[in-house]
Amino acid sequence: MAQFVTLSVTASPATMTINSVAAAGLQPAAKTDATTSYKVTSFLAPQKKITAQLNAPMPVGMTLTATYAALGGGTSSGPVALDATARNMVTNIGTVFGGTAAITYALSATVAAGVVASQTRTVTLTILNYP
Amino acid sequence: MIFNNVRCAAVALALVAFGAASAQAQTATQTVTFGVNAINQIAFAGSPTLTITTAVAGAAPTSVTDALSATWAVTTNQTGAKITASIPAAMGTGLTLSVSLTAPTGATSAGFQALSTTAVDLVTVITKQAQASLGVSYKLDATAAAGVVASSTKVVTYTITGGT
Repeated sequence: MAQFVTLSVTASPATMTINSVAAAGLQPAAKTDATTSYKVTSFLAPQKKITAQLNAPMPVGMTLTATYAALGGGTSSGPVALDATARNMVTNIGTVFGGTAAITYALSATVAAGVVASQTRTVTLTILNYP
Repeated sequence: MIFNNVRCAAVALALVAFGAASAQAQTATQTVTFGVNAINQIAFAGSPTLTITTAVAGAAPTSVTDALSATWAVTTNQTGAKITASIPAAMGTGLTLSVSLTAPTGATSAGFQALSTTAVDLVTVITKQAQASLGVSYKLDATAAAGVVASSTKVVTYTITGGT
């Protein structure tokens, strides 16, 4: 039977620049962005999951973490450090019609990262059968 | 009968449409733009009191040192940062106030350095460190020429200069 599955995102997050520290002696303060979301329609289809991966690893000393809120009765994996390997973000998604859920990105860096010029990573979200 | 045929046709068209949607948009992408600016921050805690009260006959008054009352912390994500210190007004005649900072990992402490209105290097080559509770030692020296000195204060200004 044909299945109807769509996945989209609202936009890309705002630029995140780490530029401060909460107190001397601590690592730099992380930056977050919670302005974007993803949208799923899935019916006449088996349970689904959404994965996310980067097109290239993050620089040494930097971590990009993403949290995808659950929808369609699914389960969020909570904060997941993204890299060039597909990571499960939400699993066990059932039937859902145009459901929208928030995406939160958190960028952190240790002092070992040094000064990092502005750069980009592409995050690819994929919807797949689960499990 | 005609009505049933119309309904069947509608269902069939819908399934074709579903199939078409299924064949597209299985992925979506976002672009994340990020960077890290230069960060150089220091903090000092504690305000020691130093009083010279003794001397050995025939020698200058005995210096006093405080290594317990103050600490410092640093965060830098640059290479080769340094810490300098100065005081806003010169010490009185015959008095010398010196300070020594414990260096964070990999950095170099200059040891005790006399403070004046000219900034003096205390720690150099601080590279990509985030450390707290580092030691601060103050030392007060006096010659007999200083005489009896009423209690007074000096504000020590520490500055971190970023590296590269």
